[in-house]
Amino acid sequence: MSATTTAGGRVREFVSAAADGWTRERFGVLGALGLILLAFGPSFQVYLFTDFLVVALFALGFNLLYGYTGLLSFGHGLFYAGGAYGVAIVLRDLGPVFADIVGSGISPLLTFVVGGVVGLALVVGVAVPVGWLSVRLEEIYFALITLAFGMLGYSLIIQDPAGLTNGTDGIIVLLGSVDIGGSSFRIGARRTYYALSVVVVLAATYGAWRVVNSPFGTVCKAIRESPDRASALGIDVRHHRWMTFILSAAIVGIAGVLRAGLAGVASPGLTHWSTSAIAVIATVIGGATYFSGPIVGAFVFLYIRWAISRFPTLEAYWELFFGALLIAVVLYFKQGTVGGLLLLRDRLLGDDGDGGETDAGGDGEAPDGDGDSGGAGATVPDDETRTDRGDDS
Amino acid sequence: MSLPSLVPLIGVADVVIGLSLGSRLFLIAVGLSLIFGVLGVLNFAHGGFYMLGAYVTLAVVTGLIDNFWIAAVAGALAVGVVGATIEFAAIRPLYDRVDADLDQLIVTFGFVLVIHEAVRFIWGSGSYSIDPPDVFNFSVSLGGSTFSAYRLVVIGLAIAVLAGLWLFITRTYFGSLVRGTSSDREMASMLGVDVPRLYTGVFFLGSVLAGLGGALSAPLQSTSPALGDQVIIDAFIVVVIGGLGSMSGAFVGAMLIGMMQSLGPQFISAGSIAIPFLAMVIVLLFRPEGLFGGIGE
Amino acid sequence: MTTVLKTEDLRKQFGELTAVDGVSIEIDDSEITSIIGPNGAGKTTFYNLLTGVLQPTSGSIWLRDDGEGGLADITDAEPHEVAQAGLSRSYQITNVFEGLTVRENVRVARISHEKTRLDFRSRASGDAALEADIEELLELTGLTDIADTSCDTLSHGEKRTVEIALALAIEPDVFLMDEPTAGMNPTEVTEIVSLIRELDADLDATFVVTEHNMDVVTDISDRIVVLAEGAILADGTPEDVLNDERVTEAYLGSDSV
Repeated sequence: MSATTTAGGRVREFVSAAADGWTRERFGVLGALGLILLAFGPSFQVYLFTDFLVVALFALGFNLLYGYTGLLSFGHGLFYAGGAYGVAIVLRDLGPVFADIVGSGISPLLTFVVGGVVGLALVVGVAVPVGWLSVRLEEIYFALITLAFGMLGYSLIIQDPAGLTNGTDGIIVLLGSVDIGGSSFRIGARRTYYALSVVVVLAATYGAWRVVNSPFGTVCKAIRESPDRASALGIDVRHHRWMTFILSAAIVGIAGVLRAGLAGVASPGLTHWSTSAIAVIATVIGGATYFSGPIVGAFVFLYIRWAISRFPTLEAYWELFFGALLIAVVLYFKQGTVGGLLLLRDRLLGDDGDGGETDAGGDGEAPDGDGDSGGAGATVPDDETRTDRGDDS
Repeated sequence: MSLPSLVPLIGVADVVIGLSLGSRLFLIAVGLSLIFGVLGVLNFAHGGFYMLGAYVTLAVVTGLIDNFWIAAVAGALAVGVVGATIEFAAIRPLYDRVDADLDQLIVTFGFVLVIHEAVRFIWGSGSYSIDPPDVFNFSVSLGGSTFSAYRLVVIGLAIAVLAGLWLFITRTYFGSLVRGTSSDREMASMLGVDVPRLYTGVFFLGSVLAGLGGALSAPLQSTSPALGDQVIIDAFIVVVIGGLGSMSGAFVGAMLIGMMQSLGPQFISAGSIAIPFLAMVIVLLFRPEGLFGGIGE
Repeated sequence: MTTVLKTEDLRKQFGELTAVDGVSIEIDDSEITSIIGPNGAGKTTFYNLLTGVLQPTSGSIWLRDDGEGGLADITDAEPHEVAQAGLSRSYQITNVFEGLTVRENVRVARISHEKTRLDFRSRASGDAALEADIEELLELTGLTDIADTSCDTLSHGEKRTVEIALALAIEPDVFLMDEPTAGMNPTEVTEIVSLIRELDADLDATFVVTEHNMDVVTDISDRIVVLAEGAILADGTPEDVLNDERVTEAYLGSDSV
């Protein structure tokens, strides 16, 4: 017994020594370095990581609604597809037009950017009415109506009454090559697209993080905890949920734009409920109450799936693993992977006592505290940002 | 024949096919609705249960006893046992949570994946079909069109199930407990009803019905691992339109959707698959209790 | 002597049952009013009508209008509109934002009051004036020491106090307290009673209290209104009301407390 304690003590000492001075900036630098290094990794790994980034953003957008206001959507695939189809249609129909105007050298990039903006606008345009109607309902009924909206979108894309979406085949996305001043590169090349995705996903994540820690986001968390209480304090819960719905859809829409370029196609399957379910799986596995939950969950989802695919006998049954994991997490450990990592860190650092909460309580007064922590303002978020660093390694 | 020109266009066979599609949908939806009405659980895995019922029936018929009816009963009961086990092990621990509804939905969604993969693991990815039982394996000609006599059997059985359930819920002691518990769980508990056991019982019953639906449909469709995902969405549409918790609503809703699946393509070309979802949205917004009746009817 | 809250012939039917049966009442801003009555007398339904959680079958509700000193009709207002109009409440079963810290709880209420809830760009804790207000309120309610504790780890009595802090954070004209001492031990009861007295003295809010504990009622009330079977049975000073035979009868005749 004493031997293990000493060993445990040593581990703890070591870890706290190692953890000492790991400020936000250092983690940032390390993360950036990791992202740059990865660009030189094997091509498939670059692709896999890009895939992770896109799914992470998808789940992050979804969780703005689920984790922060308590509304479980089974129809966010609609907005994922909205972004993808928006960019795909612009690329298909307007590519030549742009080439005529700005010249073919730069036009592929311009078209993609315009397409992205159009995709985002399309998603917001759909989310405004869909959200307004959906937030009239709660709990199971909200899950059902979003599922219905998603499948309504799926049906319309497949049947293509307006002749825009090319039915079940979807739209091929050709990103083309940019040619500026003699140097040329393909936007769709894995490493190029990776760089593009990193920039977009980081920017969107930062935006979401700001929202979550703003007065708006604080009210969201209150609504998740008790909608009645929130409205008794003068908060228009329905309106707030509607705004969150639109924001959440917009982030998912950005992920959809990136998905179209990565997959090379905008396909109707993106609107199907089984795609919406990916966001649910990633978020729940990661831990819905944490900002970083969906990101970590997406990481676990894609990399475990990849690991499983290395074993030909298991490859076909990866869904089984995630089904079981999902059940286990909901039943036994709702804090998910992030909650688990926090608990592990607290154990290793020897923070005794109240588990996951230690941190939130600990640096509640952080702003005037140790100058190294980049001015951690809010209490809980600081807790969460630390775990963000976990998935860079 | 001086019937209006619309009638030959529809054809008796289309109607019979529509009603038989509706019947199989009813068997899934009524269990789903019953479970929601009493337990407040929306069982995402109910389509998986239906599929499992079809597979077990197929396996028994082709591998054990060459008697369709015994196999169908075996399929239904096997699914009942699976359902009761899932309720006991994975749904019961969640009733007291603040967000029980959503947690239970997510857990049952986990079982969608598990059942799907388990079926693929055991029976492979191919699709199977069997002939209807010999007695009914003949075609009926009516009004110039032909259809399998077995379809009539399925329709008849669905009606029998509706009647049986209705009698069971309104006329038996267990039924009165079910009704009491669905309207006020705490009160029922205080009056001495063993609510957890009753819940498991209702979940068993709902699962048996889904399994029976799958079993009876095995001769009418090709059974593949994708089946569960396909029918669960139809079942959601049916229970929403009919009213979550309503049995007669499930019947009417199922027949409506069945007829639409059979006749729809002839009348509305573009947008026809979108209509059920549109209907679902409209009902949820304007009549969330469904078009027909309330809990327990 | 100004009326801050008024109901006129307020009525609520649930099917056959009349839960609130023609209640007309005027609450004056100079007194603490207690609303008492046996179980099932309609107190909680009455509160739910006042706060917009339930819509009355008939009758009307009026609340002091900040501008003119007159009264504004809030009969059809939704709960958040009622709160914005200046009517705040605490719940019989404590209802706070469990997963948030005490400070964050109060911050939510202040954000709502300052109408900055749609600001998604600044930091929630970045507004110095807002933080100062929060600090002041925490001090006033004696919550400073546990300000950074998550509410789900608080004791029942502490949660009650958080509820009071929340309700006061929106600077209400009227504060409806639903059974503030329910489920508390004697020490906690003493503490909360003295807190209510202090707050009533310090703040502009008018306190309306429902309560089971008769010692508390006689201790804090300037006026007592007795509800029985949804209607007003007696209304007056504590002495008058408690000596009223009909009141004794109503309590003893039904579910005695």
